[in-house]
Amino acid sequence: MTKTTKGISRRRVLKGAGAMAGLAAIGAPHIAGAQAKVIKIGLPTILSGRVAILGTSSRFAVQLAFNQINEAGGINGRKFEVVDRDSKGRPDEAAKVTRDLINNDGCDIIIDGEASSGSFAVHEVVRDLGILCLHTCSETSSLTADPKLFSKNVFRCARQGIHDAVAGGSYAAKIAKEKGLKKWATCSPDYAYGRDNTAEFLQYAKMFEPSIEVVDQLWPKLFAPDYTESITKLMQVKPQAVYSALWGGDLVAFIEQSNLYRLFQNTAYFSGGLGDPPILTAIKNLPQGLNTAYRYNNGFPGSPENTAFCDAYVKVAPHEPTNWAWQNYAASQFIIEALRRTNGNTDSSALAKEISGMTVKKPFGGAGITMRDSDHTIINYPVAWGKTVSKSPWVLDYVDTEWSKIIELEKEWKKEKGYA
Amino acid sequence: MMKAGFLRDLFFAAVVLIVLIVVPFIFTKPSLRDFLIYVMAYGLLAMSLNLLVGLTGLVSFGHAAFFVSGAYMFGLLMQSGRVSIPVAILITVCGTAVLAMVIGAICVRLKEIYFSFITLAFQMFIHSIILTWVSLTGGDQGLRGGIPRPPFFGIDLSSGASLYIFSACIFVACILIMRQVWQSPFGYTLRLIRDNPNRANYLGVDIVRMKLGVFILAGAMASVAGVLLSLFVSGAYPEFGFWTTSGEAIFMIMLGGSQLFVGPIIGAILLRLLEHFVSIYTEYHGLVLGVVILAIVLGLRQGIADYVVDFLQRRREAKAAPAKEAAFVKKRIA
Amino acid sequence: MNLEALASCLSSSACAVTQISTALIIGMLLFMVASGLSLIFGVLGIINFAHGAFYMAGAYIAFFTYQATSSFLLAFLAGALGAGLIGVIFERFIISKVYGKDILMQLLVCYAIILIFDDLVKIIAGPEYKMMGMPDVFALPPLEFAGGFVPAYYVFMIVASLSIGALLWLAIEKTRIGKIIRALAINPQMVGALGINTTLLYAAVFGVGSMLAGIAGSLAAPTRTLTPGMGLSILIESFIVTVIGGMGSIVGALIAALLIGFTRAFGAIGFPLFVDGIMFGMMAVVLIIKPSGLLGREIAR
Repeated sequence: MTKTTKGISRRRVLKGAGAMAGLAAIGAPHIAGAQAKVIKIGLPTILSGRVAILGTSSRFAVQLAFNQINEAGGINGRKFEVVDRDSKGRPDEAAKVTRDLINNDGCDIIIDGEASSGSFAVHEVVRDLGILCLHTCSETSSLTADPKLFSKNVFRCARQGIHDAVAGGSYAAKIAKEKGLKKWATCSPDYAYGRDNTAEFLQYAKMFEPSIEVVDQLWPKLFAPDYTESITKLMQVKPQAVYSALWGGDLVAFIEQSNLYRLFQNTAYFSGGLGDPPILTAIKNLPQGLNTAYRYNNGFPGSPENTAFCDAYVKVAPHEPTNWAWQNYAASQFIIEALRRTNGNTDSSALAKEISGMTVKKPFGGAGITMRDSDHTIINYPVAWGKTVSKSPWVLDYVDTEWSKIIELEKEWKKEKGYA
Repeated sequence: MMKAGFLRDLFFAAVVLIVLIVVPFIFTKPSLRDFLIYVMAYGLLAMSLNLLVGLTGLVSFGHAAFFVSGAYMFGLLMQSGRVSIPVAILITVCGTAVLAMVIGAICVRLKEIYFSFITLAFQMFIHSIILTWVSLTGGDQGLRGGIPRPPFFGIDLSSGASLYIFSACIFVACILIMRQVWQSPFGYTLRLIRDNPNRANYLGVDIVRMKLGVFILAGAMASVAGVLLSLFVSGAYPEFGFWTTSGEAIFMIMLGGSQLFVGPIIGAILLRLLEHFVSIYTEYHGLVLGVVILAIVLGLRQGIADYVVDFLQRRREAKAAPAKEAAFVKKRIA
Repeated sequence: MNLEALASCLSSSACAVTQISTALIIGMLLFMVASGLSLIFGVLGIINFAHGAFYMAGAYIAFFTYQATSSFLLAFLAGALGAGLIGVIFERFIISKVYGKDILMQLLVCYAIILIFDDLVKIIAGPEYKMMGMPDVFALPPLEFAGGFVPAYYVFMIVASLSIGALLWLAIEKTRIGKIIRALAINPQMVGALGINTTLLYAAVFGVGSMLAGIAGSLAAPTRTLTPGMGLSILIESFIVTVIGGMGSIVGALIAALLIGFTRAFGAIGFPLFVDGIMFGMMAVVLIIKPSGLLGREIAR
């Protein structure tokens, strides 16, 4: 044994030297100085695995926004470059690639296209490094509502769970009253988002229509491929209406499998996640009259800006915009407008000051989307609910909820939670 | 003899520690420091797993269970605000050791592939507990709000540099401990169990107890790796305990080599370098990584470090052989 | 925990029929995947961690074939044969190189294949959700049995899986080639010494095993969402099935798959919070009491 130890130690030194050479390469700047005028936008997101479409559809939107401004000559002569990096949906990887994007690739601004846990990991990094960041995919309310997590350089440009809950609750209460839907059941994925989202929806639905009674709650696993036992359980319970926080590919499977049992013939269905074009088009037999929250629709709001956005998007992407796409596109607009106002100065606090309270018209037009000053999250985005039809545009009859009502109830909710 | 070996190891440890600390001050890019902390956390995980895989021949598919338990225990203790960092680390290591004892007591009785399966089953079970016990763990969103790092003994870990130096010290200390085990009589007993369990049995070795001992040690070491990572990302996430994390640790061992003590660390460096550069240039890193794995497995049929060691040994033998032959021939002629 | 609901469900024929059929629906697809896994392990001694990738391949091939031809029969055949063919290629060029090696080597090779397949699917089909949709033949209202409802497609799926399973069992137990394969599992040298081409047999067995995964994939395609990475979730469950049933035993796989199916179907009614725990618990108990599984035999090598 003693014979080999000596050899190992020498080799260890050699190995060490080799590794050092590799490490030195990591330390070296990635892009030479001649291009330093380019403003770099870092986009950590999920590009692989089951929810890869979240990342790819976000990336199309961010690239579209910055290509448009590059073609228009940039800002103060400065052009944009988008650097994306796959986190594989792992929070520690998300933290790492975000640090890399900032420290190694020299990104000036981060657009965080991570969902749930990844967005919290990115949040810690950008708080730590003091760089401007817009979260574009996380719907978890506490990310911006909890004052403990507040950071002056960090914003959320995405729908927020509590807004959805108020809008969904009031819409559902109205239908329940009209049609006498009293017996409700829920079927949502068993993880924090699914449970919180469902609880908040029920809280507001019951507040607006006290006769609603929950007869059963089912919690299939997240990313379960098969929902047969939940569907047959629903058939035993025979609720008049079902609420579900299922989303993405899980929702596609749930609807198709429910179709086999004709579940929706006698049961009203309310979904937070159905209204996204890739889901609506993936479902081969979309039943009529399912109720869904707005995610994205090329016909709503019916403004020229929305049509222009959708037309430009489908030229670069193989599908219509997703919910994540409009959120990322809007986030890019906030950044572009802020840079316009600072004349291309990328200092984070200067940009953050501009973005607080800013309103952008793209992509929906109308009164625009506003970044609320007090808690750095967007308001006045579409929170309508509509009903499905079996062909394009898939969802019609959107009913809007007044934002003043949402904001009022959000205030009370914040007090309840101890956030305000 | 033992003492001389220990002094030599201590000397090497000191050199490695000094190099680790000095390098980021020469190449001052912060991303290099990040990279090294990552390598240390994952390297430690792979090293601790290799105590089972390489030393004892127990192929655990569920080692990340202890990695994640380290990260969560430490994170929860720090968030409770009642203990200082060293105390929290100590409690975490002891707590994980107890967990490893409970799980190990069941697992080590099983042989070969069945051991692998049951460790995998326990890991999946722990992962699903973390996902469903939302009130304690935050479920899929992980421990949120950051992990506080109150100063202790005048050390303030909120600065990047001191966190790095602290991690390097812990890392080297753990490696030193594992090195002592690797070279100890206990270590040689474990090799005997790996190579010839029947003989170990005849010699009166209590195999189950020995295996349980190394299982607990490996679990405790993995929890330290979890602590390092949770300190660095300022959070703990269920993905730390998913089977892909165990898979990655196994991959690091295979890439580096299981028979050389530092093999897993070499593997960790190589894998991290590979992932770092590949994911810069393509989003299809899975494709590239898969092809590289296939090339290594089918081309070398062993870890890179093991291959290099074997190759050098073969070359030395080949060099020695003709010389001997020549001498023999000369003698015959004379 | 709601055992009352469970009791009342069992006493009503409508509920019992629906839930029993649910158990069969869940169990049969698992059985298809797990029997392939079990066959490959029993004969080749390889744990095919990449089995989920063949399931995915079968589903995607069936999906594209159905899109091109609108024929479910062709889609089914293409999915099954395509996955089988990929399996044979994989066996010949990759996995056969690590026979008899360290199990870690086999694990790594399979890991590599999962990574490569997931990215290839993303490159070829894109990351969007894909759904084959119900073929017109099965677009009927659910069939009624004693007050309970079972969709027509699921009846077909159960019958198809059971017949394929029975064929497989007959082939292994009652034919000459089955006898040779059983001998191959126990003593490959002897089989080789008898002048039988073992290389070819290994490839064929691996191909059949992958074909079973492909069959499961194409049977799942009309009702389950296709995404890259879809092989993962079914892989973990089918591992539980093979471990409980016994590696290498087709009948064991059937029994364990039904066990899981019934646990999930009736667990949803009676004890929804404990279903996962019970599944892991069953696996742990089996491993501790009889590591080789209910109907498995100890590995000779």
